[in-house]
Parts: sequence; C-alpha cells; structure tokens
Amino acid sequence: MEQRVLDIVNVVLENRSKTKVNNLSPDDKLRETLGFDSLDLAELTVRIEDEFGVDIFEDGLINTVGEIYSKLG
Amino acid sequence: MSLFLKDLDKVYRYEDLLYRINHSSVYKPCIQTSDLYDFFTNFLLGLVSDSPLVLLDADLNFSELFGLNVRGINIEKSVVKKQYASLEDLVKAVQTSLSEITIFTSGTTGQPKQVRHTVQTLTRSVRIGAGYRGQVWGFAYNPTHMAGLQVFFQAFENLNTLVNIFNRSRSEVNAVLESAAITHLSATPTFYRLLLPVEKAFEKVQRVTLGGEKSDRKLYDFIRQLFPYAKINNVYASTEAGSLFAARGENFQIPENLSGKFRVEDSELLIHKSLLGQSESFQYSGDYYRTGDLIEWVDESKGIFRFKSRKNELVNIGGYKVNPEEVEAVLLQIEGVQQAVVYGKPNSVLGNVLCAELKVLPGMELTEFQIRRFLQGKLQDFKIPRRIKFVEQFLLTRTGKIKR
Repeated sequence: MEQRVLDIVNVVLENRSKTKVNNLSPDDKLRETLGFDSLDLAELTVRIEDEFGVDIFEDGLINTVGEIYSKLG
Repeated sequence: MSLFLKDLDKVYRYEDLLYRINHSSVYKPCIQTSDLYDFFTNFLLGLVSDSPLVLLDADLNFSELFGLNVRGINIEKSVVKKQYASLEDLVKAVQTSLSEITIFTSGTTGQPKQVRHTVQTLTRSVRIGAGYRGQVWGFAYNPTHMAGLQVFFQAFENLNTLVNIFNRSRSEVNAVLESAAITHLSATPTFYRLLLPVEKAFEKVQRVTLGGEKSDRKLYDFIRQLFPYAKINNVYASTEAGSLFAARGENFQIPENLSGKFRVEDSELLIHKSLLGQSESFQYSGDYYRTGDLIEWVDESKGIFRFKSRKNELVNIGGYKVNPEEVEAVLLQIEGVQQAVVYGKPNSVLGNVLCAELKVLPGMELTEFQIRRFLQGKLQDFKIPRRIKFVEQFLLTRTGKIKR
C-alpha cells in the first residue's frame, strides 16, 4: 500500500513537472514537504479513490503522509 | 408508390401507412414502444384525430416513468375511423392537426421536464416543395424528442423515405448509408464522430445537418471527407421551442420575420414566449424565456451570431469557473485525439476536480503525461484536467449527446 501511495504521489509530482521523491515518511507534510497545492491535493484524492475506493479527505483535510496511511490502513 | 420507412429488414410503403391509418379505430395517447413503425403510425393517427399524444422514450424504466407522473401507458382509446383518399389528404390533415403533443427534455441535468407542443410549433421550419421530393433520410435521432420529430415531419410532409439508423453500430450505419442510398442526414456531432475513422466516402449524401451540441472544426473536416458532396449545416432546435434558425457553418441567423422575438442579455439568448411550447417549468424573464445558451454576435445588424457555450456548463473548481468546451477545444488540437469530453467530478477538496476522457485515433499512442505537458503551455493551471482517461466509447444520453 505504501509503495502504491508513493507511486501516486510521484504521478502527481511528475504531471506538474516537479521533482519526484524516492521515498515517503509518515511525517512528510503534503503541502510543506511535497509542495502540493490544493489542485494537487484534489488530484491526489481522485487517484487514491480510483485505486483504493477511499476518499481520504472526506472527513476534513489531511496534512501528512502518515494520515493517508491510516485512512487506507 | 414510395417507401415510408426502412427499419432493419422491414420495409413499409406509404400505401401501407395510408391503409393502416384508414383501418385503425384505436390509438394509444401515451405510447411507449421501440418499434419505429408502430410509433409513427400511432403518432399520425393521434394527430389526424386531433387527440392528445404523450411521447415516452422506449428505454425509460418503471421508476423513471413513475417520476414523470404519466398514467395509462400504452392503453388504447378509440378514434373515429378515417377515410383518406390519398396521401396528400393525410398530410394535409396532419398539418392542420389540433393535437397537443407532450415531450420531455432529455434530462442530462435532473428530472426530465415536460413540454407541450402543437404541430404548428413542431413544424415551423419544415420546407415543402418539388425540390424536396425523392429524399432518403437517415433517421438518427430518438423519435420522442424534438430533433427526431423535426426530421420526421420534414420527411413525411414531402413523402420522403426514412431509414432507421438510431442507436445502430458504426458498421451497421456504414452498410445502410450505402445500401439504402441515404441522401440526407441529420444527427448529433457525437453520431458523426462515431463513424470515424474515415474508411470510405459516401458520395450519395447531399446534405448533412448537425445539431444538439457544439461541434468543432476537426469534426467538420472529418465530415467533409466522409461526405464529399454534401452541404453541411448546423441547426438550433430545443425541446422548448423547436427549430428556430439554421445556417451553414458555425453561424446562425435570426430570420427577419422573427427578429422581434429574440433578445440577448449578458450574452444569453432569450426567446419570446410566443415561440415556445407550454410548460410549467419554464423560467421567464418578462415575456422572454432564458435559453441558457451564450452567444456572440458575428453581425448584429443582420442578426448573425454564433454559440459560445451553455451557461450552466461551467465547472466550479475551487471557486474558479472552467468552461469544459474551451478545454475540449485545446485537447482536440493534439495530434491523434479524435474526441474529448471534459467534466467535473465531485471532490472533497475543491468541490470538483476537472477530468477528461479522450478517444484517440486507432494506432496512436498517447500518455496522460504527454497530454498534460501539452496543456501546460496552453491553459491556466486550474483548467488542466487532473485525471485523463483513455476510452473506447463515451456514455451517451437518450438523445445521443455525450453525458458529462
């Protein structure tokens, strides 16, 4: 699951011509560490929902990679 | 005697039609059928009896019908037997019918609304005369909706042949275009796109009409290849008002005799209520109906204009409004993209996320990344679809338009 989240994060980064990351840590912040803006966050939710069937932002905003893991866990 | 209708391997002559009309003592005021001949004969019988008609899509299911609140589906009612000596008498009786005809909007957004018409509002733009004889019409619309009724009346009042090609596959349509020697086609842009790629040209087709959706230059080029000898024109018809103006190319002209019946407010086209059918669900602004169609004058003094978009089609992306047609137009510039549909998918972060579905020409390989790269130089960030899917087929609505 963590590998798939990494892949999805990298698709979003690549689509925006941003540098891809080699790994994610649960403490990584989506906005500050990965540099996601709200459009990127929306894309991330759509792609994760396509893959896992879960809307990670359903109950409010998520800030860290670790919060994504626990939503999907 | 000429042919009235070809439907797969069934062929009906105009004298069969006259015989059936003259020998029927019942009709169904509220008809639901997938048989086109039954539908048309019942329709004509209702009209010449000056009796009301409610036209229901063949594929409406029980709960949808319940939502429409119609009663007595396919229940027969007796009518006075007719004695038409000739087809000309029958046509005349149809033209002067006092029937009220109820149709429903296609319901791409929300619950279908009913609109009541008369033969006069439905046949406003029908042209009759010697120059219209001998035409063979491909029937590519749902017969229960405005565009299908327009084609039906145009063909019937000139005793032309109709060939059913509604909801047929690409290969079936290709075969019938040739075998039935179709000369006239009227269909949605989506219908023509489904005929692609161009494998051969249909030289017998004289006229091609597009309606119902905004079309684009790429499609016109394809249509010219498919039908090299056809005149191409566009038609503006709505469930509310029927057919109002037609023109060649992408422009429309308001007919001089109707010039006082239209207004433009904030780019939106407004139509005077005297041109409309009857409905409780129309939103009026004074005596005018708001069409939701945004237009742009090409030559205001001559009443020539072109359509820009639908008012309510803008997608709200986190407060930014995106016109899907603008994005579709850019996607169509990409080599290999045959068709594009852009729509908003509800999203918890932004309200909507912009998504695109693309159909690419056979043999072409495109990736989401390539598409996004191309768009980055052409569109603002928020107008770039954040998820792009490649599809074989689009979902269509009942009237053959693409579902967003």
